[in-house]
Amino acid sequence: MSSSTKSNSLLDWADQRYQIRGLIEFLKHKEVPIGGHSMVWYYLGGTTLFFFTIQILSGLLLLLYYQPGQDTSYETIRYITTKVPFGWLIRSVHVWSAHLMILSLVVHMFSTMLLKAYRPPREMTWVTGFLLFSISLGFGFSGYLLPWNELAYFATSVGTDSVKSVPVIGQWLLEVMRGGPDVTINTLYRFFALHIVVLPITIFAVIGMHLVMIQRQGMAPPRGHETSPRGMPFFPNFMLRDLLLWLMCLIGLMTLAVFLPYGPGLPGVEWELGLKANPLAPAYPGIKPEWYFLWIYQLLKEFPAHLFGVEGPEAALGLVSVIMGIWALIPWLDRKSRQGLPTPGFTDYGNASILFIGYLTLKAWDLGGGGGGDVLPDPAAVARTCAIIILGVAAVQIAIRVLVYHHWRFTTTGAVLLQIILHGFFGMSYLLAGAISFVLAMGVYIIRYRGRERVFEGAKS
Amino acid sequence: MKNLSCLVVALLLTFAWGTVARANEAQTEATPDTEVTDLSSLNLPDAVEEFFTATGEGGEPILAESERAYYAGLPEHARKLVAVAVENDLVSRPEHLKGLLDLDLRPDKFELMFSDNCILCHSDEDQQSEETWMRLDPEADAGPSHLSLPAFLGGAHFRKGLSCSGCHGGSPDVLEMVDEIYDRWPDFDTRREDRTWIPEFCGRCHSDPAFMRGYNPALATDQVAKYRTSRHGKKLLEEGDSGVAQCVSCHGVHGILGPQSRNSPVHPQAIPETCGRCHSDVKLMEGRTKPDGTAMPTDQLAQYRESVHGKALLERGDLGAPACNDCHGNHAAMPPEVSHVSQVCRTCHTMNAKLFDGSKHKRAFEKNQWPECETCHGKHNITKTFDAMLGTQPGELCYNCHARYAKHNPNCIATADHFRETIQTLAEAEEHFAEKEEWMAEHGLDAGDLEGVRADLHDALRTARSTVHAFDQSDFDEVAKAGLDAVKVGHEKVSAGESEFHYRRRGLVIAILVLVFLAVVLALKIREIERPT
Repeated sequence: MSSSTKSNSLLDWADQRYQIRGLIEFLKHKEVPIGGHSMVWYYLGGTTLFFFTIQILSGLLLLLYYQPGQDTSYETIRYITTKVPFGWLIRSVHVWSAHLMILSLVVHMFSTMLLKAYRPPREMTWVTGFLLFSISLGFGFSGYLLPWNELAYFATSVGTDSVKSVPVIGQWLLEVMRGGPDVTINTLYRFFALHIVVLPITIFAVIGMHLVMIQRQGMAPPRGHETSPRGMPFFPNFMLRDLLLWLMCLIGLMTLAVFLPYGPGLPGVEWELGLKANPLAPAYPGIKPEWYFLWIYQLLKEFPAHLFGVEGPEAALGLVSVIMGIWALIPWLDRKSRQGLPTPGFTDYGNASILFIGYLTLKAWDLGGGGGGDVLPDPAAVARTCAIIILGVAAVQIAIRVLVYHHWRFTTTGAVLLQIILHGFFGMSYLLAGAISFVLAMGVYIIRYRGRERVFEGAKS
Repeated sequence: MKNLSCLVVALLLTFAWGTVARANEAQTEATPDTEVTDLSSLNLPDAVEEFFTATGEGGEPILAESERAYYAGLPEHARKLVAVAVENDLVSRPEHLKGLLDLDLRPDKFELMFSDNCILCHSDEDQQSEETWMRLDPEADAGPSHLSLPAFLGGAHFRKGLSCSGCHGGSPDVLEMVDEIYDRWPDFDTRREDRTWIPEFCGRCHSDPAFMRGYNPALATDQVAKYRTSRHGKKLLEEGDSGVAQCVSCHGVHGILGPQSRNSPVHPQAIPETCGRCHSDVKLMEGRTKPDGTAMPTDQLAQYRESVHGKALLERGDLGAPACNDCHGNHAAMPPEVSHVSQVCRTCHTMNAKLFDGSKHKRAFEKNQWPECETCHGKHNITKTFDAMLGTQPGELCYNCHARYAKHNPNCIATADHFRETIQTLAEAEEHFAEKEEWMAEHGLDAGDLEGVRADLHDALRTARSTVHAFDQSDFDEVAKAGLDAVKVGHEKVSAGESEFHYRRRGLVIAILVLVFLAVVLALKIREIERPT
């Protein structure tokens, strides 16, 4: 019997039971849209999935030795990194890959937002993507505590403490999270269960939904190219390109894991094991959460203890909830893009978000503030240095938007930059500068909206 | 869409509810600040009520809300004592009462103060002269430190219930000054010039075990006996020199605190300054001599501050480090004689003293009557020891004596050189391993084993430095061997770490080459399938 006859009979056998010929036909004809913008943005979902797969594999290897417990968590991680053959590499790959996965996910999410790929019929793909982003942050937060070292202990204490600010149920939620009023080994048990059981099951389900939606609906074509006849076959052309990129990612990941086994040494991007957690030891200064939480951490610091009768952290988390809420509901809020019309206001919102989050993240790193040891960094110098950097980034961003994409709407970007200038160069409080910028931006929006209504009424009459 | 809107509205409402609740809480918390303490239910006697209703020049009440609240919170008995004091004119002005209430004493102390007519009368500025007025607020009303009422009330004597009459005589109940108050003390002019009466006066209680048992059974009662044997005691009591230290010179007068209190002049960290007040005073020390007849120096405190002991005690707050009294004694203060210097040092440095006792140096030092530790380490200016102290070149420590007293024995110099070379080898290795440990940790290598070796080396180095005091090469080599072995193991660990580092780098290069090869194959495949047919 020839090999092709053998594979055909196997295919027949599978097709009779699972009707897979339809799937093969579907894959043969599936195409990735070309035109309108670079294809780079189509690969980012794949790289995120690649890093996620690395996470599962390296996580499984770590589980062969890791044991959660007061006397075992720290000790087994130490054992893994010092005695287990290639254990140091597995841990380093696991942590680096986690950071790269979040980075790839963030870039993927922003590119999807700016290209308006959430337009109907792909609203639920956006929502499942947003859920995947939230679950990934949960993975990062829960995994951080598992080595049970000093840094993880105090960062988790600070991180979980902010949950208290949730109105009404804050204290209850805090105690549920921690398994008591303080971070103890019970907290680690909870986080461990979340990290290796609850979150993986959830993320597998949501990834499944996300991928099925993408396969059924195809990748979103750029606006204006919906009916373009050009397309690249998904299989094998796009798939092979994906594989090529994954190989490059693997090379990058291994190089980073070997050369920088404990991270690049920036606050929030370092994972040296250090000392075992000691709840009785005083928390040392300069503890910062991981880089993707830094903007929330800095925003909490910018708020005073009390603001108009509300506690500062409560108000800050309220603002974060509003920003995230708008983000999750964008497919429905961006009504014009549902009709296939351009929505420069939302494009500007996406671009402005990058500057807003970037400024807070740089500030959280205390860039340009001097200090060190017992000397605290100078907040005015930090605000100014970060403002200079973000203004430089904004200049490049605006130049690209104007020259390449011919954008002319910069209201939200302008508001964010005004806030940064007032705060960074004129020493105004971050919140007051934000309030002034917000009011001015709202004024511009109202004037523009009224102007448009007048034009509309004129046209009607 | 509708469901989503409902969810958003529900979230906003929850947030708003939390906001309103917090605002209400803030309002409720703010209310008590505006309350006025109601004294009407306390049935104040007329005289006291007058004080509480009295107003100042601007029309504001002299006794403000804080004093009213404090008074209202006092037990009934304490309030009655206030009434009696006001009726007896011991507290004759609302301003005086205000000052007493502002002391914010615990109720039991407050009652003790109001049961003592001496305090009430002597704390009233209007009734006293500058020299007899106990200041209620010493910062605002400048005066000698012994005339501070808060300090007196916080002192060890008042805490045990002993007040003015305990030392001055008389009774706290009487309303006027009586003769017996002046009986116990020499007259005013004499007691200032002649201080010989003070030790015996304090000793009336402090040398009486039966009396002291009722107040502080743990406190020794031999202070006066010891003082008599001290240089200070002999000068004062035998030679009548009232310029030397007696009880009050170190402990103060009113408001005496025990050595455990940080504010006490006899707290371990305060002792150098307390002794230095006299011993650093060039004018006071002028004409005074040491037992050997040489002039009394005044640079001890300055030297001590720079010494290893001074830095440990005064800068690091290490209360185990010796202050003046640990070597010279407290009440029996006297300079340690040559033969006693090592006895003082060895109370802490036992290991080194024991090694020295078995050494050849011991015999030589005894023969020549040289002070043991002091000869090499100094006295008040003892600095942290360093390896270069084992110097055999002209001008260096060992050479200075050996060139003069042991020229005939070149082995001594050779032994000292051997000590120094070995110690330097160990010290340099320790430094090298510390650097390598940091390097290994930075590069993700296991530095735990090297850390253990370095700890062993550190112990061996410390013991070797100490063993130098035996001045015996075989003893020293035995100890140093452990360190030299650790150096050997340490180098092996460093070498293993470096090999692992290069192995990882090589592994990465090979893996990258394989992956790059695969990537090239994949790129060629993509080109092939996309080539136009």
